[in-house]
Amino acid sequence: MGGAAVAAWMLVGGDRTALLPDATTGVHHQFEVACETCHAAKPFSTEKKTIKALNKTCYTCHDDELKASSDSHPRKKFRDPRMADYWEKIDARLCTSCHIEHKPEITRPGAVTLAMDYCVACHSEGKQDVRVNRPSHAGLEFDTCATAGCHNFHDNRALYEDFLVKHADQPWLNGQAPVHALQAISWETSEPPKTALARADAIAPSEKLTDEALDHWAASGHATGGVNCAGCHAPEAPEQVAMADLALQWSEAPEMKTCWGCHKEEAKAFRVGRHGMRSHPKIAKPRKTSKQFKALGWKGAEDSLPEQMLAWLEDASPPPQMTVAEARLPMKREAHGETLSCGSCHQPHSVDRREASVEACASCHADEHTTAYFDSSHYRLWKAEVAGEAPAGSGVSCATCHMPKVEGRRGDVIAAHNQNEFLRPNEKMIRPVCMDCHGLGFAIDALADADLVARNFQGRPAAHIDSIDWAVRRVKTGEQGANQ
Amino acid sequence: MQSKLSKSAMVAAALTIGVQAAPASAEDLSYQQVTDMLHVVMDTDRSVYTKNVVARLAAKEKVIKASEYFEDDKALPLPAQMFRFGAEGVADKTDAFSYSLLSLWPINKQNAPKTDLEKEGLQFIVDNPGENFYGEEELGGETYFTAVYPDVAVAEVCASCHNGHKDTPRDDFELDDVMGGVVIRIPTDS
Repeated sequence: MGGAAVAAWMLVGGDRTALLPDATTGVHHQFEVACETCHAAKPFSTEKKTIKALNKTCYTCHDDELKASSDSHPRKKFRDPRMADYWEKIDARLCTSCHIEHKPEITRPGAVTLAMDYCVACHSEGKQDVRVNRPSHAGLEFDTCATAGCHNFHDNRALYEDFLVKHADQPWLNGQAPVHALQAISWETSEPPKTALARADAIAPSEKLTDEALDHWAASGHATGGVNCAGCHAPEAPEQVAMADLALQWSEAPEMKTCWGCHKEEAKAFRVGRHGMRSHPKIAKPRKTSKQFKALGWKGAEDSLPEQMLAWLEDASPPPQMTVAEARLPMKREAHGETLSCGSCHQPHSVDRREASVEACASCHADEHTTAYFDSSHYRLWKAEVAGEAPAGSGVSCATCHMPKVEGRRGDVIAAHNQNEFLRPNEKMIRPVCMDCHGLGFAIDALADADLVARNFQGRPAAHIDSIDWAVRRVKTGEQGANQ
Repeated sequence: MQSKLSKSAMVAAALTIGVQAAPASAEDLSYQQVTDMLHVVMDTDRSVYTKNVVARLAAKEKVIKASEYFEDDKALPLPAQMFRFGAEGVADKTDAFSYSLLSLWPINKQNAPKTDLEKEGLQFIVDNPGENFYGEEELGGETYFTAVYPDVAVAEVCASCHNGHKDTPRDDFELDDVMGGVVIRIPTDS
């Protein structure tokens, strides 16, 4: 009976939570009951096809991030048959060679499921022997390669030798009052465009035109941008519509899709980020019982099954939005009932767009790093900027580091909504964030100090990472490597 | 070695040389003929980029630099990178053949010969100027027809850049020297 139930869940439908081998990694729990999101091969596929399909799905969400990272070990590098002897050691053509899911007992930082001395597989012999090529590395153990501040398997944009040398002599702080240039631009106030709308321009059913709503909307970016009430509350309504019809089409709480209609780039990133991945279009949809039966050669079998059995065979699907209560990070108890949508962080009628940079984050997150932020120098700078006592862009909010302003595809400045691009390993943040204000050496040391990170950078780095010193010594003093 | 060309390799070759249909005598093409054809295209494109883009704009007219870190430096990709990007792009589209640029004196150690045939072939083209090397090898459980073609310093800038690089194992290259080799592989099992 048990075997039949498992077979039915696997091949037809039903809640497969009980079949999960073990906890999934990181934020993958958000869609773990939609198994086909990752296990994309058809039932009874060969092992080779199954693994290939599984690995292909990784790129559904992580492709852009890997491309942006100038991946040091891209899959394409290992596909050449001349790399065949490496395939025997670690097959880097497959993500699953290093990242196996449902293995919490062996999952290490970076979702790595190999022993942390994995570099030894390829960089300990022949032309690739790093101990010969780099005399400075001669006494190092291979489990220290991925130490913070030294090397990452994928993202070494701020860690490659020539970059270290080029930025070797930077002071800890770039000038007396450095600013994040794009953040400064994004907060700039300019003359409202001619299409900007004023309080009197609001078109909505009369009961919606409260003073509070009008005041907030008129001062918001939406009014400045020429978006009238119906643009969000009745997006399907024709431009010239009778008020009675508008009232019928009115939505008190617009759906996320309404926001996405205009904020396309932000939406795309949000849907692969940690807050919005539940709405990613590639998350597997619930299986249809009739379709599953048909694929098994039992077309119409569902017609002969009782209602209760059909209900049992109904696929569980993740709710359309993540809830705070489901988070695996420490969250505030009072926020547990919240769901994550655009409106969780953004108040579309709000005058102050900066609320989404600090207050929104702290309304849910309750970890040590977040709590310590409010006693940090970064927060003091942010408060000064918000109060108008310091230049635009000089403050450091939660979003400054984790959802920084970036250049959009159209050359405009937008907030990055995929936190993964600026999170782990934390050296990802060095170039797009830290180096706006800090020198490279200080940034590397600070991010390598886990206690300092937890204290939200109150104090100085406790240790020094030697990478810049070694790189400078090799390049400037002509320290010889095996190649020379 | 002279066995008939597989269909997939023939199609890939036809695509690469820009023809719309396989030639009338396609049935008679050998692996060697195909790799020779592929190499003509690769070598010509590589030479054009090196001479007409890098040597002209970076070395002669000095309007832009060529840099290994071309994105950070807002510069031109190096000719060797340009060649590698092409090889990786081809690998995204077909498994019918693969190619790479290797050397006995690589700046990037990843481009040193790895297989026995690569080592033999690269040494052969250095010892026998003007000649190519052909062989067969088994990699990862699959058999390949492997061809190695000399890669020559076609412009002064090839030699000068390699000679002056901090990681070069050799600093006496001259114009027209064989600096490395283009290795082309066609799987013969499929």
